[in-house]
Amino acid sequence: MDSTVRKLSNGLHPIDALDKWFSDGVQLIGQATLTAVKTVKYALAGQIDLPEVFRQANMIGVGSLYVVGVTGLFTGFAMSLQISRELAAFGADTSVGGVVAFALIREVGPITAGVMVAGRVGSAIAAEISTMMVSEQIDALEIMRVDPVQFLVVPRFLAALVMIPALSIYSMTLGLAGAIFVAQAKSNIPPDIFLDSVKQTIVGSDFVTHIVKSLINACIIIFFSCAIGLHTRGGAEEVGHATTRAVVWTMTLIFIFNYIVTALSNLHTS
Amino acid sequence: MISVRNLRKSFNGREVLKDVSFDVWPGEMLALIGPSGCGKSTTLKLITGLLEPDDGEIVLNSKEIGLVFQGSALLNSLTVRENLALALRERKLPKREQDRIIMEDLTLVGLADYVDSFPTQLSGGQQKRTSFARAIVNDPKIVLYDEPTTGLDPVMSTIIEDYMIELENQLHAAGIVVTHQFSTWTRTAHRAILMHDGVIVWEGKPDDAMRSSNPYIVQFAKATKDGPMLTGTI
Repeated sequence: MDSTVRKLSNGLHPIDALDKWFSDGVQLIGQATLTAVKTVKYALAGQIDLPEVFRQANMIGVGSLYVVGVTGLFTGFAMSLQISRELAAFGADTSVGGVVAFALIREVGPITAGVMVAGRVGSAIAAEISTMMVSEQIDALEIMRVDPVQFLVVPRFLAALVMIPALSIYSMTLGLAGAIFVAQAKSNIPPDIFLDSVKQTIVGSDFVTHIVKSLINACIIIFFSCAIGLHTRGGAEEVGHATTRAVVWTMTLIFIFNYIVTALSNLHTS
Repeated sequence: MISVRNLRKSFNGREVLKDVSFDVWPGEMLALIGPSGCGKSTTLKLITGLLEPDDGEIVLNSKEIGLVFQGSALLNSLTVRENLALALRERKLPKREQDRIIMEDLTLVGLADYVDSFPTQLSGGQQKRTSFARAIVNDPKIVLYDEPTTGLDPVMSTIIEDYMIELENQLHAAGIVVTHQFSTWTRTAHRAILMHDGVIVWEGKPDDAMRSSNPYIVQFAKATKDGPMLTGTI
């Protein structure tokens, strides 16, 4: 084999690179799972720093309102524009509301909010905690017999558990509003026709799926970003690496789990 | 008292500590000196429990350990007061008593006016002094200093060394200072151990260092490139 062609930019053979990626992934999943177990134990024991939970809720939720709102709105615009044009061609423009709402509530809403929060919050958490690791702040906590998981992860987890589903609903609502606006402006579908279609299509379990997906997103973002941060060693370069890893892993897992939940809910429905 | 016996530690197959033993008595300050990578900071981390030894034994007469970190390691999201309060958390003191201890400690290091400042609002020297205050807030019987004067200007280094001497007198704790700053170990320590390549190569009083015939301490104390510790060429 031509070794110059077969090696990747980091100098690893493709098979070795795949092996390294897989073993890194297994190790990270283990670390995130252990972080999750410890976090839930502390939360159930009521060992919670409430002011810090509110501070984190502000950081995660209020701080993400703008970016999640804008992406949700434009996703609604684009979906409505595309779907209304296609359905109008078949004379099915009265179904536009239902199709757009179905996609927004079950798939696009949680994914859009999850990905945006993973990018904004997951990266910030990984950067903050890994900086604390390399600057010995985590060591200082351990010397003071303060568990970093209780001090750093529990407040972020509880804040995310409330704020990420809230952001997801907010994104979905803006997306629907945007879709109604574009359907009226571009395809002359009146809002009442659009909303009628939504009412006929959407059932309670769609909202349950939406909430379940956003709760899973919250867990993925917090546990993986924190686990990556808490296991960072080295210096400034490793902080950058940890931040990138957090974004890549959380976003990838959000898509994978989104599919799993969709598949399971379809199984349940059928 | 700190008793270290036959300590061994490896990282990725490289033996960083090879059979290190020493004792530190209450009221005594021991300097761990040596070139970078000789195993000083690893020894300190093993004593604090931040690392587990591969072999050997560490006996401490108290669970209460104060550690002054090289980079201060203050939590940037907390004020100076909250940083110190975190160290007191386990004692579950009433708020008034907690505040009294914090103010007393901050007064000792000359930072009472900065109690509600965040670490990022402090200079490097002030951060180091806050780290001192945090280390002693529980009146520890063991105080460890990891490169306490590295990166500070000579005046601030002298101030920090003065604090260390004052704390030794007040706390009567067993102390270890890891440093390669000549003035720090000669001014603050009662005894020094020179480490090289994971083993102790010299032990004695700082005053004896310049008079010793041991080639390692002669090279280290005189900061010369001629001697057994220099490897490689420029």
